[in-house]
Amino acid sequence: MEIGFFQLFTDPIFRAPMIGSLLISLAMGVVGVILFIRRRLLIGEALSHAVYPGIVVSAMVAALFFSFPGEDEGLFVLVGAFLSALAGLFFLDFLERKMRMYSDAALCFMLSLFFGVGVLLVSRIQLTHAAWYKQVQVFLYGQAATLDDRHLLPLGILSIVCIVVVALLYRLIQWASFDRQYIQGRGGKVKVLDALLNLLLLLSLSIGMRTVGVVLLAGMLIAPAVAARFWTKHLSSFFILSGLFGLVSGGIGNYLSINLPLWMGLPQFALPTGPTILLTASVLAFVSMLCAPKKGLFRRTIRFISFRYQIQKENLLKQLWKAGEEKSWGYTKLVSFIPASAWLRFYLFCHLRVQGWIEKKGKKYGLTTDGARRAARIVRLHRLWEVYLVECLGQQKEKAHHNAEEMEHIITPELERELTRILKDPDQDPHHQPIPKV
Amino acid sequence: MSLYWGKQFFEFFALLWVRFIQALRGDVVTLASDEVQVLVLVGVAISASLVGTFLVLKRMTMLANSLSHTILIGLVIAFVLSLSHANGGHFGLNLKILMIASVVTALLTVFFTDFLERVIKLPKDASIGLVFTTLFALGVTLVTLFARNSHLEVEAVMGNVDALHAHDVKLMAYVAGFNLVVTLLFYKEYKVTAFSPSFSATIGISPFLFNFLLMIQTAGTAIGAFRAVGVLLVLAFLVMPPLAARFLTHHLGRLIWVSAGIGILASLLAVAMSRHILTVYAIPVSTAGLVVCFLGALYFISYLSKLTFRAFWP
Repeated sequence: MEIGFFQLFTDPIFRAPMIGSLLISLAMGVVGVILFIRRRLLIGEALSHAVYPGIVVSAMVAALFFSFPGEDEGLFVLVGAFLSALAGLFFLDFLERKMRMYSDAALCFMLSLFFGVGVLLVSRIQLTHAAWYKQVQVFLYGQAATLDDRHLLPLGILSIVCIVVVALLYRLIQWASFDRQYIQGRGGKVKVLDALLNLLLLLSLSIGMRTVGVVLLAGMLIAPAVAARFWTKHLSSFFILSGLFGLVSGGIGNYLSINLPLWMGLPQFALPTGPTILLTASVLAFVSMLCAPKKGLFRRTIRFISFRYQIQKENLLKQLWKAGEEKSWGYTKLVSFIPASAWLRFYLFCHLRVQGWIEKKGKKYGLTTDGARRAARIVRLHRLWEVYLVECLGQQKEKAHHNAEEMEHIITPELERELTRILKDPDQDPHHQPIPKV
Repeated sequence: MSLYWGKQFFEFFALLWVRFIQALRGDVVTLASDEVQVLVLVGVAISASLVGTFLVLKRMTMLANSLSHTILIGLVIAFVLSLSHANGGHFGLNLKILMIASVVTALLTVFFTDFLERVIKLPKDASIGLVFTTLFALGVTLVTLFARNSHLEVEAVMGNVDALHAHDVKLMAYVAGFNLVVTLLFYKEYKVTAFSPSFSATIGISPFLFNFLLMIQTAGTAIGAFRAVGVLLVLAFLVMPPLAARFLTHHLGRLIWVSAGIGILASLLAVAMSRHILTVYAIPVSTAGLVVCFLGALYFISYLSKLTFRAFWP
């Protein structure tokens, strides 16, 4: 039986997992941005594994007090995970500072040691406390489905705390990430802020493991931030978008994990929630990096190609102008001015005609007055730039040409006015060629 | 009932020694389960130290970490390929499948990470992190779909030494042999790319090519070892012994052998200790977890021994 998207918010069984995943993914998305801009994502990854022994130990402690899991063990596990990740952070610092380990090796060392201790401890309770063992293994891959209304309150509050702290510290995070000296100059303590941000990371890791699981925790910090990075330049919208991407992937991932097996006609397969949420976030990230309006790969490629095309077009105009403003050529002769494939030559030719820069003169083709003016401007920019390079920057005459070949396509009208003013509107370039006036 | 049933820590070593002598004489017909564990772990230790030393020196351990996650995809591929070879639902690996899986995994990981870093221009940490978490999530999802009955899901991450069979020894021996041959063949190339990538590029040894070869070796080691220690704890074998050995020697060749020695020592101690705990306290504990703890302990012991040496022979 398929469950509708909005039914997930009202149904008493699905309500808690849905709202829980939404809030937690939102918080992790927001915290991930801090790690992204500070290049500390891999620390998040290493610490996410360090959470594991804490879960096991807290389950062992909880087993002393409660005979059966499922009552109030949530808080125990949360605290245990937090403390063990904190220990991981200190251990990391110890390895790097005292043992002088490479930072990447230190991350791996800490990660595998902590996870190994976790594996050792969990094997201890495997047979003696089977129910608890099962409970602990849930955290390995995450299981949002077992969340209920009682868990929702602490998890929800902590997620909101994460977001509120980020909002309150927004200015400080901005300064600390881009200009650390500024904070020190104002008498602030960067170390205190760093410690606070680390605590925030640990908090988000300990609440996140419930839905995505220990082994995939890092992904929920990384993927929304990567996705958001391609849509904005501003830090504030970076935070908001990343949180939004987290939120969306939490919602869609949860929805898919329940419904996808049903659609595929395999109701006996339970699609794990954590991986599905993460995969949704990753899909969002990949789509963003390909299709985002300004920074996406497609858009960047199109911009690159159209720039190359514009250069070819302007070069053709320039060559025609140099060969003789008033002259006219047959098609074959005309397109032979540019080194390009036959198709591109034909396309360029058509384009120039449509734009009205080339016209038919008798049986042949020549520049229109408009085309000639454009071509003259390009040559003018080229020669102005050569003068500028030689006179103002003291470059050798022979070297100036190559640089000007590229700059002639980039110089804007404002820059041209400025160059004319500085150089006092010269008549000749360094190679004694006349500079056309427009 | 295993031959080692009821043995304590030192009795274990005594019996192991006796069995070793018998094996040299040719009297041993079948391997006891503890011996299988020891042999597989020794194989893992040797392979991992051959690969791990260079990983640590080239500062590629985070990529190895990434690979240890993405290997799950390789395992799924291996699993699907080996379905036809499966004997009675048991998940078996053969050499061809193992090679395909490790090459594919290394290729996927390295290609995507490089693509994100160079073409999309993401920072290095973000590209590594995004690729391995995505591939790992994909792996977990596929594992739950394909291999629900074979406990691959938890065992792939945690490892299960007790499930090892005699043919795992053979497989691990192949992996170790492969790593040994590759390292011996390309020792000079690895050395030069590790210490001066730009110099190696000028004399025509491509650092990219040999980094990729190293990644294939890492993937092979991880796939070979995952049944014993799980994909995540392979990382401990790769990283910890070379780091410990660095306290003891500064010579590259010796570094490899010392780290192999440390790995082997930790494996022996772990199997013996696991047997000891089972005998005395009647609690089965994870040998893989114990190995990692011993590796960590050996790291700090070698640090202390370096300090002591310094104190007495300044």
